[in-house]
Amino acid sequence: MALSVEYVAKETASNLWRNRVMALAAVLTVAVSLSLVGTALLLRQAVNRQVQQWSGNVSLQIFMKANATQAETNYVTSLTKQMSAQIRSCDYLDHQASYNLMRQLFAGQQGGDAIISTLTVATTPPVFRCQLVNPNDAASVAAIFHSATSGLPGVLNAPYPGQSIKALERLTNVLQLVLLVIAIVLLASSLVLILNAIRMAIFARRQEIGVMKLVGATNWFIRLPFMAEGLLQGLVGALVAVVVVLLSNVGVHSLVTHYGEFSSLTLPAHELVTTEILVVVVGVVIGALGSSVAVRRFLDV
Amino acid sequence: MIRFENVTKIYKGSIGALTDVTVDIGRGEFVFLVGPSGSGKTTFLRLLLREELPDTGTIFVAGRDIGQLTQWRVPYLRRNLGCVFQDFRLLPNKTVAENVAFALEVIGRSRQLIGTQVAQVLELVGLGQKADRMPAELSGGEQQRVAIARAFVNRPLVLLADEPTGNLDPATSAGIMRLLDRINRTGTTIVMATHDVGIVDMMRRRVIELDHGHLVRDQARGVYGVGTDLPSTSRGIPAVSLLVPPTAVEDGPHTDRVAAVRARRGQR
Repeated sequence: MALSVEYVAKETASNLWRNRVMALAAVLTVAVSLSLVGTALLLRQAVNRQVQQWSGNVSLQIFMKANATQAETNYVTSLTKQMSAQIRSCDYLDHQASYNLMRQLFAGQQGGDAIISTLTVATTPPVFRCQLVNPNDAASVAAIFHSATSGLPGVLNAPYPGQSIKALERLTNVLQLVLLVIAIVLLASSLVLILNAIRMAIFARRQEIGVMKLVGATNWFIRLPFMAEGLLQGLVGALVAVVVVLLSNVGVHSLVTHYGEFSSLTLPAHELVTTEILVVVVGVVIGALGSSVAVRRFLDV
Repeated sequence: MIRFENVTKIYKGSIGALTDVTVDIGRGEFVFLVGPSGSGKTTFLRLLLREELPDTGTIFVAGRDIGQLTQWRVPYLRRNLGCVFQDFRLLPNKTVAENVAFALEVIGRSRQLIGTQVAQVLELVGLGQKADRMPAELSGGEQQRVAIARAFVNRPLVLLADEPTGNLDPATSAGIMRLLDRINRTGTTIVMATHDVGIVDMMRRRVIELDHGHLVRDQARGVYGVGTDLPSTSRGIPAVSLLVPPTAVEDGPHTDRVAAVRARRGQR
């Protein structure tokens, strides 16, 4: 079976040109849906990284009351040592160290100076910063130290960052789900658009197809230009989406550097590349699927 | 070259299109396939092209049982069977030369070969001067010559023609027949289904007559309806000269059945 690349390229190009409006619609739908897919994936990866960074450092903080006695502090210290099954280690920051940390954290933030000015060394609560064996235990471990639930004297509060992380995760999960649902609907419609574009191309050339069958062109020879057409539509749409995803990453990056926080929301290059490759693969698969269904359904050779 | 062995083909909800047909066509023969519309001529050709499979019986082309061919081998069978139709089936957006070249292009022949073969075959059919015309600029007879050139450019073993003169006036038809005769002389087997009494009577070639799917006559150097040695429904049609318009032939005694068959085809 001699298949000339030139022939397929020529036929594909002329098919696309004859059907350019339909082809454009298919390409744009693929591009939009894949941009959404890519953005959703980037968002997910970025949030995962951020969460990891936060929860990797400190899983639980135990704030003592500013006026906690030495005995009360010692008791908490011994308790944290006893719970070695759950707590890996704790750093104790006294009034001075805690004060320094607060200054550090609030410095440069909006309204941070006002907060710092109200702080004094004496009124800053000392804090235990603990790493847990399993960060998922944070809630139950925190409950043991929390004054309201355990009545442990001298303990002011035992917050764990998991609470705020969970809220962030929940928010991004919802956002991501919405993006993915929209993307899937759009991908389905782009599949149908590609299928229809190929169907129309086949219909427009039914005379030629009839002659080709008659003179003994092989099935693949007849099919290939149409397959290539669908594949090309998927690929071009995917390439547009690759650019959009790239730009959105740059956009996120500039936002991040502008606000100075969440620096880990920007992705390292290899994760971006992985996402982009996935976008291209999905585009090609959509194109191939749409055209092969059309060819099988409407081109009875 | 072609052999039908007890071939039967029945379409759904219809009488048999071919019933127990056994026929043997040798290499280089020129065979007329005659009979009224709906007698099974077209089915005969479609089975040869393996556009359909027979219900029972076997068909051999060049010694090969085509019922045994896998689907992907079918195109290679068709490369050995050139095809010409009543309605020419040229591609209107291609020139004469491009139409002929298309048949070689799509089976992957080299450009160099295509160039020489196309020029040669256009000379053969007498259209060397009109290679760059569009089909719409040609007369019916010239268009049919292009179709024949396209069917023959690949030098098939067999040329199948389904009423190739059906749309042409008698004089033009005679020219087409001279061309087919010339192609036959190159050793190409020709099977031509036709209604054209004048042509069959003039050519005096082998005649295979079908009626309601039955083979009713197989006669060397036969005529359309006269001189039958088997009962024939076309009996009573006078032999007409090539100068009689083909419409006169349709006014024979079986016109009603022709109309009925056409109506049935229209519904399908």
